[in-house]
Amino acid sequence: MDLLKNWKIHLFALAITVASESIGSFKYKLLVLFPMLYAMLMGGIISWPRLNILSEKQMQYASRVLSTMMILLLVKLGLGIGPQIPHLMQAKTALLLQEVGHFLGTIMLGLPLAVMLGMGREAIGATYSVAREPNIAIISEKYGLDSPEGRGVMAMYICGTVFGSVWLAVLAGAVAQLDILHPFALAMGAGVGSGSMMAASMGSIIAVYPDLKVQIEAYAGAANIMSSVLGIWVALFLSLPVAVKTYGLLARLMGRKEEPAQPAKEA
Amino acid sequence: MTKVIDTCSILVLTALICFAANMVGYKGELQTSLLGVGVILAIGVLGFGISQLPLLNKTYTIIWVSLLAIFASSPLCPWSGWIVATTSKIQFMAVATPLLAYAGLAVGKDLAMFKKLSWRIIPVALAVCAGTFLFAAIIAHFALKWEGAI
Repeated sequence: MDLLKNWKIHLFALAITVASESIGSFKYKLLVLFPMLYAMLMGGIISWPRLNILSEKQMQYASRVLSTMMILLLVKLGLGIGPQIPHLMQAKTALLLQEVGHFLGTIMLGLPLAVMLGMGREAIGATYSVAREPNIAIISEKYGLDSPEGRGVMAMYICGTVFGSVWLAVLAGAVAQLDILHPFALAMGAGVGSGSMMAASMGSIIAVYPDLKVQIEAYAGAANIMSSVLGIWVALFLSLPVAVKTYGLLARLMGRKEEPAQPAKEA
Repeated sequence: MTKVIDTCSILVLTALICFAANMVGYKGELQTSLLGVGVILAIGVLGFGISQLPLLNKTYTIIWVSLLAIFASSPLCPWSGWIVATTSKIQFMAVATPLLAYAGLAVGKDLAMFKKLSWRIIPVALAVCAGTFLFAAIIAHFALKWEGAI
């Protein structure tokens, strides 16, 4: 059975978890550190290709365990939503509207920067979403993964997997420490539609506002479910067309041709 | 069938790691933690089972699992009180820490590809992730104010 064949991975996961949880959380100025982050970093060191501790196959298995285990995370998240439904209903407009921020925020911040840095149509694939699996499928269907758009979405997918969660945790922790936006609003912001990114950013927010844990979990969970359920449709019919249009506009503003001669190795 | 057995065995094992995390990190009691993890596991397995039924097996597992968990903890479910009380003994972080440990253990396979990317994608990726979080949070903040929810 696969489970027994890969005992090494599970043993590492257990050891990392116990070690990370024993360290506990710290706050220093704008920086918030907590077990989840150590766990990701320790795992990353163990899987560092140069060290040859894990084989490619074992890493792929770890990735499969990750997506299966997501079920437990979603259960825990869902269980936090049920009792808070009356509370969430008072904020239904906010819950609906903030999705606009999730679906267009990637483009608003990412696309101008990408075009400024000289990216070609790769910029469309890279910035129209946070590039999780359904987003890759959409680009693959429309442009193929060999296209500039396809290379863009794959590059963003890899970056998101490698440092997306850690970056969002650091960012969410810093923004929460600034105490400008309400913690419930931050919690909804954390619901980006990717389990590990959501968990990491929500972890930071809870570390800053431990007393509001129950509500933060409910808001983040509700926003995350909306992002992942609506995600595929909104990405296809709203985010992608907006990204394509905005790219054309920006490229023209910068005096570039619609199809700049970017060689394949770009992005 | 192999897929079902594989998934369920992974769920059981990872649930045990969550149990360990809950004991170490959040001073959970042995019995209540074990019960809490057991209930979460049961809902997870049931949700996964629903998503594998004929007709439904073309849909996403995450939807069924989420819906089932929300239902189980809502007033609509006759056992919601007990379910919420037992599972609240398991901290969210006790599930998330092992999850990110596996994410870390899987990251090595993407590092080779990562090294081949142009440096330009890095600031862009940071901006993309920041954008989705910040814009949603800012909109939510003003909408909550407008609704009078905060």
